[in-house]
This record gives sequence, structure tokens and C-alpha cells, in this order.
Amino acid sequence: MHNESDPERDVARALRALPADDARPYEWQEFLARRAHAASGLRSIGGGALVAAAVLAVAGVAAWVRFDHHAVSTAVTADAPADAAAPADAAEPRAAERWLESLPREPAIVRVGTRADVLILEDRIAQVDDLLTAGSVERAQAGHLLALQRTRARLVSSLVQVRYAETLADESR
Amino acid sequence: MTRLVEISVAEAVLIRARAGDLGAQQLIYAAVAPATLTLIRRFVGYGAISQDLFQDTMVTLYERLAQFRGEAPLGAWLRQIAISKCLMYLRSPWSRARLCLAGLDRETSAAATPLTTAATPAEMIDVERALAQLAPTARAVLWMYEVEGYSHEEIARSFGRSVSFSKSQLARAHARLRTWFAPQDPESHAQRVRS
Repeated sequence: MHNESDPERDVARALRALPADDARPYEWQEFLARRAHAASGLRSIGGGALVAAAVLAVAGVAAWVRFDHHAVSTAVTADAPADAAAPADAAEPRAAERWLESLPREPAIVRVGTRADVLILEDRIAQVDDLLTAGSVERAQAGHLLALQRTRARLVSSLVQVRYAETLADESR
Repeated sequence: MTRLVEISVAEAVLIRARAGDLGAQQLIYAAVAPATLTLIRRFVGYGAISQDLFQDTMVTLYERLAQFRGEAPLGAWLRQIAISKCLMYLRSPWSRARLCLAGLDRETSAAATPLTTAATPAEMIDVERALAQLAPTARAVLWMYEVEGYSHEEIARSFGRSVSFSKSQLARAHARLRTWFAPQDPESHAQRVRS
């Protein structure tokens, strides 16, 4: 005679009957190679932050150039007051202005693909999320967690700005 | 068929492995890797993430080998590490966000079940598919309770949730699986296995 718990026992029996060691993992040499690769990847997280900063700089400059160009065009076509054509000029760092002045009067059309940069930043955020979760579970030192949270905040900020640059670029096309 | 929890390694091999002997570490790898990857796949499916978690688990094993005191089989100790990695993955906001994407959910569950081979009995394929249909959390709770022998209290602690969370997830998983295993006409059953 069946009772209410029988189906559950059947399920449990079926689950326990599944093979426990039928997976075929990669070879030992491959494991060593991946471990070495991961170790070098962790070492380059600092480098990754540099890459993210560089990406941010490029995206920011691209957005600024596009925005500024768009603002100038608008000012000319709408015959707006001259000071409307240079938004936030005073806030721009002098170094950036000097660099812009060094560019040709007629800038070349440059298409900056941001997809790879977005993916890299998202991967970095995921890595930091994993480290944060591991740190929380293993009760890592508060300073370590704080540093990870700061790194994450920086990466998110970079991602936001790259994506913002994308939207500006889309609007200016 | 050897469960991970039952796998032991000779003390001499452990001593050499702790000392950094790559040969001994390779012996351990050969002994535990298949069962470890199998266990991880029960939790997260057959996607690329299972490989990542497996790699992470094995790296942690060697890093912490000095802490292993040999009070239980090495496999039991490693099981703790593997399950902890899987649960960390399932709990992470990044993973939850990704699982919300229907496409990825399919990729890591039902659509990512292994290819049928002639050597795999049809009943087992059916069970694997049924398991893959469950939500990741329900699947993890079901597996921990029914196969790995965790109590509801232990599962609740692992997830950082209440005991009733564990019980409700288990009940939900059983309810889903009951419909899967419920007796029905052979044609529709065969169709479901093929799908």
C-alpha cells in the first residue's frame, strides 16, 4: 500500500542512483595551466584597474569631443549666444584642453567600439563580487572587504561612464 | 560508483602533497576530480560555470591542504569546499541576476544536460533531465538533503536562511519532481524524454 511519502522516497532513490563520478574533468596539466593563468590574472587586477581607467579616459574624451562638437553645431545652427557653445569649459582640466588643442582642426572620424570594454568591466565586477562573497563567508578582515567594495564602486562607476559615453555617441549620430 | 564523501587518500600521499610534491598532488587530483566535478554539476548544471567552480574548488583544496587534519576522508572535506563554492555562486547577486535572464537559465539547466549516450540508461537520463528542470536553489536543497544527507538546519546555515526556507524549497522540488515522475501514458513520457 502506498502512503503519501512514497513518491518522495522514490525520488530520493532515483537521485541516489545517479552516477557519482561519471564526469570527465580536464587533465592535470590543464588544471595546472588554468591555475597559473588565474594566478597571473589576479596579479593583473591592479593592471585591470589601469586598463579600466584608460578605457574610461578614452571613452570620456570621445564623449567630450562628441558632446562639444554637438554643442558647437547646435550653437551655430540655432544662433545661440556664444557662451552656450562651450559648456563647462572652465571645469575641464587644462591638460585635456591642451591635448584637444593639439588635435587637427578637422578631427578624423574615429569609431570607438565599447562592447569589449563593457564586457571586461562586467567581468571584473563579477570577479570582485565573487571575492566579496567569499570574503563575507570566510569572515575576511573588514579592511579587505572595504577595499573590495571600493574597487567594485570604481568599476561600476567606470562602467556607468562608458555606457553614458555610448548613449551620447548614439545621440550624436 | 564512488561518492566524493567516501574517497580517501593515503596519508603518505597527503604528506607529500602538503609539501608541494606535484606528483602527489596529481594523484589526489586523479582520485577526487571526477566525483568533484560530478557533484558540482548536480548543483549548477553542465555549463561553463561548472568548470570554473571545479577549478576554484581544486585550487582551494591544494591551498588549504595543510589545514586538513584527516579526521574524515579527504573527499568529505573536499565536498564541503565544493558545496560552499556552489552555494556562493548561487547566492551571489551577479549569479542571481544572470539566472533571471531566461536564456541563460535554460543554458545552465535543461538545455545544458549531457548528450545521451548508449551507455547511459534511459531512466538516469530522465532523472537528470528532471533535476535540471528545477530552479538552482531548489535543486541544491534537494540534492543536499536527499543525497548528501544534510539536515534542514545545516542547509539553512549553508544558505544563511531559515529552516523553513530549506523545508519549503525541498517541498517545492518534490512537488515539481512528482509531476515529472507521475505515471502517465508511455507515448507522452517518451516524448518528454526526447524533448
